[in-house]
Amino acid sequence: MIFAVLIPLLIACFIPALSKLKEKLHTGIFVFFIPFLIFLYFVSFIGNDFTPIKEKYSWIPSLGINFDLYLDGLSLLFVLLISGIGSLVVLYSIYYLDKSERLGHFYVYLLMFMSAMLGVVLSDNIFVLYTFWELTSISSFLLIGYWHFKERSRYGALKSMLITVFGGLSMLGGFILLYVVTGTTSIQQMIGQVDLILNSTYLPLILGFILLGAFTKSAQFPFHIWLPDAMEAPTPVSAYLHSATMVKAGLFLVARFSPIFSGYEGFFIVVSVFGIVTLCWGAYMSVRQTDLKAILAFSTISQLGMIMAMLGFGTKAAVFAAVFHILNHATFKGSLFMVAGIVDHETGTRDIRKLGGLATLMPITATLAIFGTFSMAGVPFPFLNGYYSKELFFDSTLGLGSDFWSQAIPYLAVLGSIFTFVYSMYLFFGTFTGKKQLDQLPKKPHEAPIGMLISPMILVVGVVIFGLFPNIVNASFLQHAATAINSTVVYKEITFWHGFITPFKMSLAVVGFGTVLFLTRKKWQSVYQVLPGKVSFNHVYDAIVNKIGTVANRITNYYMTGSLKTYMSLILGTTLIVSLLFMYLTNGFAFNTDQLAEVTFIEVAVVLIMIVAAIATIYMNHNVAAILVVGVVGFGVAILFVIYRAPDIALTQLVIETITVALFLLCFYHLPKLRKSTDSAKTKVMNATISIGFGALVTLVAISAHSSRWFESIADYFVENSKEMGGGYNIVNVILVDFRGLDTLFEISVLGIAALAIVGLIKYRKNKEAE
Amino acid sequence: MEIITAILAGILFATAIYNMLQKQLLRIVIGTALLSHGAHIFIFTMGRLKTGQPPILIDGIESYTDPLPQALILTSIVISFGVTSLLLVLAYRSTQENGTDNMEQLRGNENE
Amino acid sequence: MSNLAILPIIIPLIAAIVLIFFNKRVHISRVLAKLFSIISLGTAGYITWYVLEHGSVILETGDWIAPYGIVLVMDGLAAILVLTTNVITTACAFYAPHAGLERRERFYFYPFFFFLITGVSGAFITGDLFNLFVFFEVLLMASYGLIVLGGEKVQLRESLKYLLINLFSSMLFVTTVAFLYAVVGTVNMAQIAERVQEVEQQGIITTIGILLFFVFATKAALFPLYYWLPKSYIVPNPVISALFGALLTKVGIYSILRVFSLIFVHRTDLTHEMFIWIAGLSMIFGVIGALSTSNIKLIIAYNIIPAIGFILLGIGVLNDSGISGSIYYLVNDMIIKTALFLLVGIISYVAGTSDLRKMGGLIHYYPSLGWLLFLSAAVLAGLPPFSGFIGKLLLLKGAFEQGEIAIVIIGLLTSLLILYSIVKIFINGFWGDKETMGNIEKKPIKGLLTPVFALLALAVLLGVGAELFYPSIESIAAYLLDPEIYIDSVLKE
Repeated sequence: MIFAVLIPLLIACFIPALSKLKEKLHTGIFVFFIPFLIFLYFVSFIGNDFTPIKEKYSWIPSLGINFDLYLDGLSLLFVLLISGIGSLVVLYSIYYLDKSERLGHFYVYLLMFMSAMLGVVLSDNIFVLYTFWELTSISSFLLIGYWHFKERSRYGALKSMLITVFGGLSMLGGFILLYVVTGTTSIQQMIGQVDLILNSTYLPLILGFILLGAFTKSAQFPFHIWLPDAMEAPTPVSAYLHSATMVKAGLFLVARFSPIFSGYEGFFIVVSVFGIVTLCWGAYMSVRQTDLKAILAFSTISQLGMIMAMLGFGTKAAVFAAVFHILNHATFKGSLFMVAGIVDHETGTRDIRKLGGLATLMPITATLAIFGTFSMAGVPFPFLNGYYSKELFFDSTLGLGSDFWSQAIPYLAVLGSIFTFVYSMYLFFGTFTGKKQLDQLPKKPHEAPIGMLISPMILVVGVVIFGLFPNIVNASFLQHAATAINSTVVYKEITFWHGFITPFKMSLAVVGFGTVLFLTRKKWQSVYQVLPGKVSFNHVYDAIVNKIGTVANRITNYYMTGSLKTYMSLILGTTLIVSLLFMYLTNGFAFNTDQLAEVTFIEVAVVLIMIVAAIATIYMNHNVAAILVVGVVGFGVAILFVIYRAPDIALTQLVIETITVALFLLCFYHLPKLRKSTDSAKTKVMNATISIGFGALVTLVAISAHSSRWFESIADYFVENSKEMGGGYNIVNVILVDFRGLDTLFEISVLGIAALAIVGLIKYRKNKEAE
Repeated sequence: MEIITAILAGILFATAIYNMLQKQLLRIVIGTALLSHGAHIFIFTMGRLKTGQPPILIDGIESYTDPLPQALILTSIVISFGVTSLLLVLAYRSTQENGTDNMEQLRGNENE
Repeated sequence: MSNLAILPIIIPLIAAIVLIFFNKRVHISRVLAKLFSIISLGTAGYITWYVLEHGSVILETGDWIAPYGIVLVMDGLAAILVLTTNVITTACAFYAPHAGLERRERFYFYPFFFFLITGVSGAFITGDLFNLFVFFEVLLMASYGLIVLGGEKVQLRESLKYLLINLFSSMLFVTTVAFLYAVVGTVNMAQIAERVQEVEQQGIITTIGILLFFVFATKAALFPLYYWLPKSYIVPNPVISALFGALLTKVGIYSILRVFSLIFVHRTDLTHEMFIWIAGLSMIFGVIGALSTSNIKLIIAYNIIPAIGFILLGIGVLNDSGISGSIYYLVNDMIIKTALFLLVGIISYVAGTSDLRKMGGLIHYYPSLGWLLFLSAAVLAGLPPFSGFIGKLLLLKGAFEQGEIAIVIIGLLTSLLILYSIVKIFINGFWGDKETMGNIEKKPIKGLLTPVFALLALAVLLGVGAELFYPSIESIAAYLLDPEIYIDSVLKE
């Protein structure tokens, strides 16, 4: 099984080499065999006695990240969709994409996606699942941006990535929480610990995180907005990723975690409400569209909402209907996307207003379309699979409960389905019947080459077969998928006619109202334009993405002024406030007058002179005077050192101070003269507050530290050993050259580097001037 | 006396910061000089003042001032000197190249 | 074997001194630089292996027993950080000859380069707080030397601000060391830890710790102290930016990690709780900064800040997952930031501008450059299965374990925006019509791409092959969470 997952990815590595042969053969021909073989491999698992299979491979066991694969009915359904539709799409793409395109890139992305998607549905390990999940987002991004010279492609690619990765990250949050709560990374083991999860206080959060992932990926309202823009991708990609597989990953996720969350009522409410709203909104929006692919995109959103709602109901009937509809949707929507692609390919436009009357020119395509659209609309014909699952859907909406939402759901289901009927009809009749407007078309339309028709034909055959024999894969396949979601599902025959019961009446209502609305379509145009108008979520997205830059810019420029003074004030202010706060919170201030050195007149005099000099630096407006005043402070420091018996540093200080003063004089000579400060009084007060505050802070800390001498200094060791072991009488010197010789070595290095830097600064300039 | 020197060092810090918050590069440089003096007095104070003889061993004397802070100050003085010299040259070069010693005119704009 | 601990400091120091004498001979300098960095890398690799196998290597310099002399503590954390540093510097040494440094190479680029490594390694290894200050000064001084190299107007302007802010924080650093010395009577970190523990971090000690935190946070560029960083990091040559981005801030955050897992761990309800908030704010404001500009170099520079936030988050939660996450993320970020700085360096070199609004369609000319950028976006944003993901996973798990929900949500959103900020470069710079920028003359970039490629391969390996590394990181985290081990190994009690 692991090979099935990884082979597409491995082959993808060789595609660039293969695509060099494209002068002779289309790369797609090689690629086709990969999904096809995988499909054949997995088909062999179908059977009444299918039991789940586990495979385990160690990857990062110490983090609980293992390549554990789990194939149950649910994964089998998806795996077959991925490889089956995948094969058809690759086949279709061979005719759709010309050899002059960058086929290598296309197939690399497509194969990457295939691996990713297989990985998502087969992983039992949450983190591996997440890995593949993000890989689907990335490959979708690359595929949507395939024609990246188009502005719309770039826009769509970014949008889809931001929204789906946003969801993915949220899902990751949920996964990590699940991991923390259960201590395991295996989904199956988590299902074994349902009680632990249901009793966790984090349950609503976990659910929210994971559903956000599922809803964004499956384009649920209001996160659906990325899907229509994803239609900028080549049509095979739309048919594959954005209708049949990737967008169903969210459904898969919800289904996969259903055994865990179904015990929590919030799950039912959130999932079914989002699902139903998406169903209605998607269908309604679809009616407003004029672009074939846009109609299909919104239709997909709507259908995904419908399946999501069924998963939310979680009842036996609903879960089975959901599984059945996943399969059916893949068949009819896949074929319709391919039909739309053919129309686009042959006429050069997808604008339904320019199309019409194509049935006579493209009879086969039209025939395929009629099956697809009527199945999608849920027209009660026994040879259309769409009708069966819609009927099951209606059935599952009934009797959910007595609260408002449960009561409203059947009506909303009918409402959404009416719109579904309308756009399905419009899609078919608008394109294939009515007046021809050949002069409006960029190309002269004719029937598509047979190669392009094979794939949609196979899918339509599927539509009909699942319609005529709805139970053909019921026991061997669908049943297993349904039990994986809800273990109480029991085998039930699907039949066309169960009498004149409520679901059938609902279907009739859909067809009835739908026909009326479709026939009077023109009159409703103005009504359709009212919503969403300005409240569209696209506006929200655009506003966020467009404004994020400007808002970020404004925020950042507000404080990143480039002004040293601002930076210093902010840094000092924060340090000051937080440190004082901590001093207060930890009761840090201490004051202790024991062991203080006595205060004598001469020392106080020196200190006072230094204080006066320090303050004077602020008011000095003459270069030499300023240097002198700074010098007074420096020499004052030296005198203090002398008084307090530190001859070494006193000497050093004297020497350094002298050199520094000399340097200052040299430098000040070249710099502009000191000017009077022109700051406003407010700035001055501000500066003074910060300075005095900070000075006070360090003084307070110093006094407290001095008053909290709880330990003997290690200095006694130096006094004792300086002579015997260090061989010197001057303890400070021995410390510098021996005890802490390393400090001194690097202190000298610092001086050396400074010298080099200065040489660099000065000489580089000379060099520049010379040139 | 330690309290007094701590206050002195605090005032040195305050005046240093006040100078560093000014626009003119010269004042900022003066500020840095005061800052290192303040820091050194703090280190010195933290080693206690005047509890013994200078830390040079003489037979018969048991009590010496704490030699470790002195060693640390020495290291720090030398390092500060290195930084200050570089700062002076940099200030000089910057003023030359940019044609101003006003830090508020050295903000730069956003897209460089 | 204890002399091993000093080799990562001595080798670059010798290299720096030797290279001073070859400053006029660029070709010899280049060869020597590559040679020295490889020797240093090999040594670091051996040391890491040795430390992970046999435990910490403690060197009491000059044979003065701890806590009296300066002690070098080459423990697991120091070893892997030194190793990562050497990986990065080797990549940079190979990149530098192609980086268009031109005359800068003759003005002591290589000596500064090796002095910088000396300082960084020293900071990682030393077990003495004052000695840490000295190594900080070594690396800062070398960075001053590098940042002014070239003497352009902008450079001088930004390096002035950089120097002044760092000067202030250095002075505050020594002062704080002195305060701590007054209270505990020592500057040896192990002994400080022991003594702080003894008095249960009462009274003024926490405040001193916070001052020390702000000193390191200024160097690490955490909110709200990072103002100096973005502009000053983009003015020098890309290879210098890469070194700064990868090493300087990381030394700051390393110091926070060390000091707040070893010494100030008794009032975590106050200190570490605040770290979590600072981490969150760093992520938010950092990424906002990254989104605020269309200068690609600035985008990367701003992205340093949220990364530091992530690392601080792990320190804040201070549990196994959190600390392992911080270490993993730290290593990952050092590698990927170097790669990104080098990459945008190449991009602005080939495009002739750093302004994203003036770019487009580069993928037609430089496909491998584009894909490497795309890959690094995924690594930086923490997408699986790359190294960033492992770190982020651990950090978020650690935060959840402490019940810190809000920070996780911030972390996740930040990841999305980080991804956006880099993918924006890919979409606007690389996608688009071939003729967007007119007809570009193709420049040779192979020599520049190779080191980047190597770094990214490592980032991928750190993710896909996490099993090779994670157990060691996990044991280092366990070691850090038990300060006794460090204290005992240094003081041998």
